[in-house]
Formats: sequence, structure tokens, C-alpha cells
Amino acid sequence: MKRSFRTIAALGAVAALALTATGCASATPEKLTIAFVMGAESDPFFQAMKVGAEAEAAAQGVDLIWQGDPANYSAETQLPIVESVLAQQPDGLVLIPTDPVALQAVSDKAVAAGIAVANVDTHTNDLSKVVTFITGDNTDGGAKAADAIAKAIGYTAGKTYEVVIGLTSATATTNVDRQKGFEAAVAANYPGIQIKDVAYSESNPEKAATNVSNWLTKYPNLKGIFAIDGTNASGAAAALQAKNLVGKVALVGYDAYPANVQLIKDGVFTALIAQDPAAEARLAIKTLVAFLKDGTKPAQRDVVIPNFALTADSTDAEFAQYTYVATN
Amino acid sequence: MANSKQATSAQTTSVAVADRLKGMLSNQSTILVGVMVLLVAVFGSIEPKFLSAATMNNVLTDWGSVVLLAVGQTLVVISGGIDLSVGAVVGLSGVISAWTMVNVLHLDSTATGSKATGGLLVGLLVSVAVGVSVGLLNAVLINKLKIVPFIATLSTMGAALGFSVIISSGMPIQGPANYELISAMDAKTNPFSWAILGSALVITIVGLFLHKSRFGLYTYAIGSNTFAARAAGISVEKHLTKVYALSGGLAGLAGMYVYLRLGAGSPSSGTGRELDAIAAVVIGGASLMGGIGRLWGTVLGALILFTVQSGLIMIGVAPDWKKVVVAILIAAAVAAQGLQKSNRRS
Amino acid sequence: MAGAEKREVIYEVKNVSKRYGSVVALDGASLKLHAGEVIGLVGDNGAGKSTLVKVLSGAHEPDGGQIFLDGEERSWSSPREALDAGIETLYQDSGLAPHLTVSQNVFLGREKTVKGLLGKLGFLARKEMEHDAHADLERVGIAVPAANRPVAQLSGGQRQAVAIGRAVSWARKVIILDEPTNHLGARQAGEVLEVIKAAKKKGLGVIFISHTLPHVLEVTDRIVVLRLGRIVKDAPTSTFTGDTLVGTITGTIQTIKVEGD
Repeated sequence: MKRSFRTIAALGAVAALALTATGCASATPEKLTIAFVMGAESDPFFQAMKVGAEAEAAAQGVDLIWQGDPANYSAETQLPIVESVLAQQPDGLVLIPTDPVALQAVSDKAVAAGIAVANVDTHTNDLSKVVTFITGDNTDGGAKAADAIAKAIGYTAGKTYEVVIGLTSATATTNVDRQKGFEAAVAANYPGIQIKDVAYSESNPEKAATNVSNWLTKYPNLKGIFAIDGTNASGAAAALQAKNLVGKVALVGYDAYPANVQLIKDGVFTALIAQDPAAEARLAIKTLVAFLKDGTKPAQRDVVIPNFALTADSTDAEFAQYTYVATN
Repeated sequence: MANSKQATSAQTTSVAVADRLKGMLSNQSTILVGVMVLLVAVFGSIEPKFLSAATMNNVLTDWGSVVLLAVGQTLVVISGGIDLSVGAVVGLSGVISAWTMVNVLHLDSTATGSKATGGLLVGLLVSVAVGVSVGLLNAVLINKLKIVPFIATLSTMGAALGFSVIISSGMPIQGPANYELISAMDAKTNPFSWAILGSALVITIVGLFLHKSRFGLYTYAIGSNTFAARAAGISVEKHLTKVYALSGGLAGLAGMYVYLRLGAGSPSSGTGRELDAIAAVVIGGASLMGGIGRLWGTVLGALILFTVQSGLIMIGVAPDWKKVVVAILIAAAVAAQGLQKSNRRS
Repeated sequence: MAGAEKREVIYEVKNVSKRYGSVVALDGASLKLHAGEVIGLVGDNGAGKSTLVKVLSGAHEPDGGQIFLDGEERSWSSPREALDAGIETLYQDSGLAPHLTVSQNVFLGREKTVKGLLGKLGFLARKEMEHDAHADLERVGIAVPAANRPVAQLSGGQRQAVAIGRAVSWARKVIILDEPTNHLGARQAGEVLEVIKAAKKKGLGVIFISHTLPHVLEVTDRIVVLRLGRIVKDAPTSTFTGDTLVGTITGTIQTIKVEGD
């Protein structure tokens, strides 16, 4: 899950009134209603999720209540939204809890009211009463990035390769997981890859570009860059282009923003690790509807949808599936 | 000692030298140049690669955008105000500019030649217009609604960020860039990029107006004593409107600069830049109380900021230390101001 | 004084009133100022002095009454209008911008620009203004060390001298000085009083507001006493002693109504 926009999003709350929440509550009696409460509307991750949720709701013939704070990823803003959604008495609730503890009580309350609950992306501490928990795997994404870099630089055992990682902050959990996965994969499979340096972009792509520009000066033999999220990916791509090093330094990014996907085709990105928020949403709604109709429980409660490495060799269908879609 | 005459003349010389030294030390730009030289020497001795044209290019490329914000901020600060919206305006103007080029002019990243150039010129106008609009909005909040600048510009900052996220869905919008033209222009202005020279030209013009013209004089007068300015017949509201519009317009220009650098308008491309700009202004010797500040100081302040940033990466200091070092620089600058003041009094 | 009587009335207010909400700050005040005359305006705090100053300087519009300059009825919607009409006001403690130089302060709002296109863009003739500021201040009897020094570096007395010098050198008709000797030492206050005398000699009408009664008695031709928003006494300075002036201000000496009311 991608949260580098949280800071902006929080500040953007001033403009919150300008945003109108989508979704409608006029359910006809025989039609099922699924409420979907996500983290922050402004985050591209949830924008992509919304596309999947709307498509699946239409396919299943259920009404969808799509709700969430316009910009602020926080339990404080999410709690009252969940409460008001429950007051509309939906049949099912897909919840992306912004805090594992703070959202527990309201989740239990929904279950007690006979509402089927699913968790997506993140989960509340007690998962025993939810129908399903569906998430992406950031650690696996980090490992896939290591594989992509090793492949692009033609990794041969016994040789050494210099690589750097562009991070957004020291604490963002997604950053931490992806970095861990990357480092573990390097240690296990590519001992010749040396991670020389890390730096923070503070959610600003221009700062990400600065970090990479300086690395390119400091490490003339730099072989690869792992840009850990969309912001770092944009900045690193700009820096490589400015220094005319496209194709000479392998760049693996994260998050399939349309602009960055285009840069795979242009050869700037070796690979983009993509999550599939739309698939998470589709599966959650599908599972809930099946459970509500005849009590079918999924074979496994917890489902991990692996990250996917988009490369120039990916098929059009894969590009279509993983590229984030802007909703306006 | 040969004779008393020589001793006396030696004494007077040493007194004169001491006086001169004191004068130089209390001069902010001398201190800044000294700090700059020291930083380059330290970074260069630890990492010889720091002393390279590539490093200079890295530093100046960052400087080119933030110095525009810092210059606008200098005027606002001298007038006794503050403009927190400039970072958000970089993002908003870049996004609206990119959106216009893509959706109104129907140009994408594949556009080349005169089509792309024309599109970028339109984008530049849009970008500056967006910045000026936010600046005018700030002025209305401050002059008409009597909201203090800190709060007024904090709210437009939030609104600008919000709008840029709404327009872009939170993702960068890739527009035309015309890299052939840009690199051709850069080749002509080698070793500096034309965008950096453009920034330098703009700030030179602003500097002339600040230090040589009535516009600048009124800016100082208002920040120094609003009551006196009003009593002298200066229309304070009208002048502040110009100052905030200029700050916004320069932020819009910076928005286009960053757009060209990233090849895309990104809503988060100005995140935190208002603080970099304020840091440059304060390091440069301007007083947040108004009435004091030189543009040259801000220009050097911004240069020091990015020298530190590049230097710390180059010598391999953990990124967390960057903020600490910048904080120390700001504290030192403010302390130096205090020392100068007490010198003057004595 | 006899000399002033012969001169023409330069500035006059008739029956002006001003209320702030339910508080009557000024109640039917009338005042005549002649060219080359110095009037002392005195009264306790809250007597209405500063309100009258604000009406005279154009900072506040009165609720009722008339204002005449050179016999012509006028009204000021801003201090700028009064300023342009030749009425200079020096406000208490706030006349100068401390970070600007002496000459920048003297010329603030009336800068000289260079010739040609740059002048149209507002580029300033700094040297010329520094020279002229120095000359202007000397003419009204103020010795300032250097016109290019920031005002913040001057002593309190020097600052006040510059502020008054600025007002006197620009004033064409009337100059209003609100507490100009406040916070000044004896010698510096003496210099300020000399400047007032110079302004009088120049033929300006001077309104001098002060709490320091010896200064008022020394420099004015006529004294106007305000109490509770009304003018209770308007008489030649020679008719007052220190004691009778204090008594009139505090109300321990009963006053008859001013003639013509």
C-alpha cells in the first residue's frame, strides 16, 4: 500500500469540502448493498481500488456505498465515516482499517449487527470475525525488485555491483517492508550487489531527483537504482534522463502511475513493481457477495495478492490490469 | 622595537585592521561567502568528487527552483509577512499547467518541435497565472478579511495542495517536454543550464527593483513601520497585494521549472519547499520581524542550503542529519543577526 | 499674540463632533489657526486631543461640523488628501521607519526618481535625495550626521529631530505635532522647540500637542484647553501661568464658555 501522499493529503483536507463523496444509499429491498470504507480518496492507490470495486459491484449486481475521507488517512476521520455508513444498514462492509486498534470496536459492532465484514490492505487486530482479509505483499515486491535489477545488470556471481535505494521516509511501513524484501533477496541470491546508500525524498519527486543526481556523481559505476515508491520513481527517472544515463543504470520503480508506465515503454524504467488494488477490491466484494447469498466462506480467510513486475516484455493485458487509473 | 613612531603607526594600523575585520564580520554576505567557502573545502577534502562540474550542476539545478521561491519569500518577509503557500503553488501550477497542455492543447510526452515549444510557452503562462492567482487570494485574505499572513497562507497552502491532488488524482501528469530543444539550449549556455540562467536573470531583475526602486523602498517601509508608511501616504494594502502576487508568480515560475525537470506536473513536487525557501531567507539574514533583508543574502542562503544537501549525500552522511545541519545553520544565522544588533547598539 | 491676529486664518474647524459608539469623544469643537501661529493643544488623557488631531489630519472623518483650509470648506477622506493639501502630521512615537535611512524617511511617499524609462519604473535618485534631505534638514535647523544612515542607528533625539524636520520641510500650510518632545532629554527637547520656532518663522500654522506644560508655555502663541471632548478655554499664552494652566486642564479653575459658542 502506498502512503507517500499522506502528508499532502492531510494538508489537502482544507479543500476537503470541495470533494464530494461518491456512492449512493438508495438500495432497493431485494438488492444487496456493500459498503466500502477506504483510507483516503486522494491516494492513487485507492483511486485504482475504486475502479475495481465499482466494476465488481456492477458485475455482481449489488449497490456500492463508496466512502472515506477525501484526503486524510487517519483513524480519527475514518471512525465517524464508518459509523455513519453502518447507520445506512448495508449487508456487507469492506473496511480498510486505518488503525488496527482504533477500528476494532466499530468492526465488532458491524458484525454484531449482522453485517458481513471484509478487511482489505490492512487489518484490525482481531481477524476472527471477518469473512476475509485480502492484501498485497510489499516484502515480496521488494524481492521482485531485486530480481528485476539483477536481471537488468546481467548479474554474474563473483562480480560486484553498486546499487542505491531511494526512500520516502525512514518510518513509512510500506517503505520498510519493501526495503526488507529487497535486502533479503540481495543477501540470499545476489551477494555481489552492494547497497551503497539510501536517502529520503520526503514525498517530493524533485528531492528524489536531487538524491539520484548526487549519487550519479558520487558513484560513477552505479549499476542500479531501486526507487521504492511512485514519488521516488518519478524523481529517479527525471534524474537519469537529465544525466543522459537512460539504459546505462538499471532503474526499478514502484507504483504503476500512467506517466511511469509510459517510461517503461521509453526504456527509462527496467521494471515497475505494481500492486493490484483493483484486484483486491474485486475479490473482497466477490467473496462478501458469495457469503451473503448462500453462506459460502472462502477456502482461505487470508489472501495475499502478489506484487507484479511490469517490464517492457509485459503484455498489453498486464499493463491494462496494473496501471493505476485516474478517476477524473 | 626601533622607535616609538613606528610603534604608534603599527598600533593605528592594527586598530584599523581590527575595525575593518569587525565591519566585515558584521556583514552578513561576507559571513555567508565565508561559510560557503568553508563548506566547499570541508566537503571537497572528504570527497574529492565533490569538487566537480557535475556537483556544481547538481547544486545549481536544485537552487534554480527554490531560489525563485526564496526571492519571493524575501520580499514578503521584508514586508513583515510570510508566505507558506509557495511550496503548494509549485505543485498546483505544475499540475494545472500539465493538465492544460495535455487536455486543452492535446499535447503528450511524444510532442516535439515547435508544437511542444508552443505548448510549453502556454504552460509557462498558465503556471505563472496560477501562482499570481493564489498570491492575489492571499492578499485578499490578508487585506480584506484581516487574517494574519501565517494563517491566510497556511489555508491557501492546504487548498492548493488539495486542488492539485483533485486535478491529478494524486499522480504526476506527463506532458510535453521537448528535450531536444532543452538540451540544444543547454549546449549554448554550457556549463550552466538555460533554466538556471533564467532563474538568475529573474532574481537579478527582482533584486534591482527591491534595492533600487520605489517598489522595494515601500516594501521595506511597510515591514519597518506600517504606521509610518501609511502616514507617508503609501497605500499599504495595494502594495502588499503586489508583494504577495509577485511571490505567487515566482512560485508559479518555479512550478514550471520543476515541471521541466520532471517532465511532468506532480502534485507533491513542491512539498516542503516553503520551508526550504524560508530557511534560505533566514540564513540570508532577513528578519522575520520585517524591514531587514538583502536579496543577495537570500541567494547565498539558498546556495548554502543546497551545497549542504549535496555535500552530505556526497560524503555519505545519513540522510537524517541533513535536517540537523540545516537547523544549525538557521540557528547560527539568527544568532549572527542578534550579535549584529547588539554591536550596533554599543 | 498681536502679530498673529493680523495674519489670515489658514486652517479652521467649526463645531466638529465625533462619537465612538455611545462615547462622545469630541463635542462641538471650534478652532482657528493663523499662518505663522503656534497653538498649544492641551488636556488630560481622554479629553479629546487625539481625536481632534485625527480629524485635523484627515485620519478620521468627523460626524458633524465643518473644516476650512484657506477659507475654503474641505473634507478629508484619508490622511493622503490632507497631506496633499499641505497639512503635515507628526504622530506620537511612530513617525519614522527605523530600518530606512534618514533620506529615505524624509522622502518617503514623495520619492524622487531618475530620469527616463527607469524613472517611470520607479527607480530612485538615491544620491540626489540624500543630498536634498541633508539640505532640507539643515534649512530647518537640524544637524543630522549622515543622510544615508539608518534611522535605527540614531539617538532618540536625533530621530525625533528628523521626523519633525521631515514634517516641517514638507509642510506647506499646517503642521500638527503630537507629543514631539515625549521621551526626550532637556537638550533634545530644546532642539525640537527651536524647530517649531523655525516653522513658525516660515509662516506655517503649527498645532503643538503636549503634556509637558513648560514647553507649551515656552513655544506657543495661544493655548486651547480640551476637557471631556469640549474646548473649555482658548486664550493667548500670555494670559496663563503654569498654575492657571494646570487648573484649567483639571477643571479646578472654572472656565466660562468660549465666546461665539
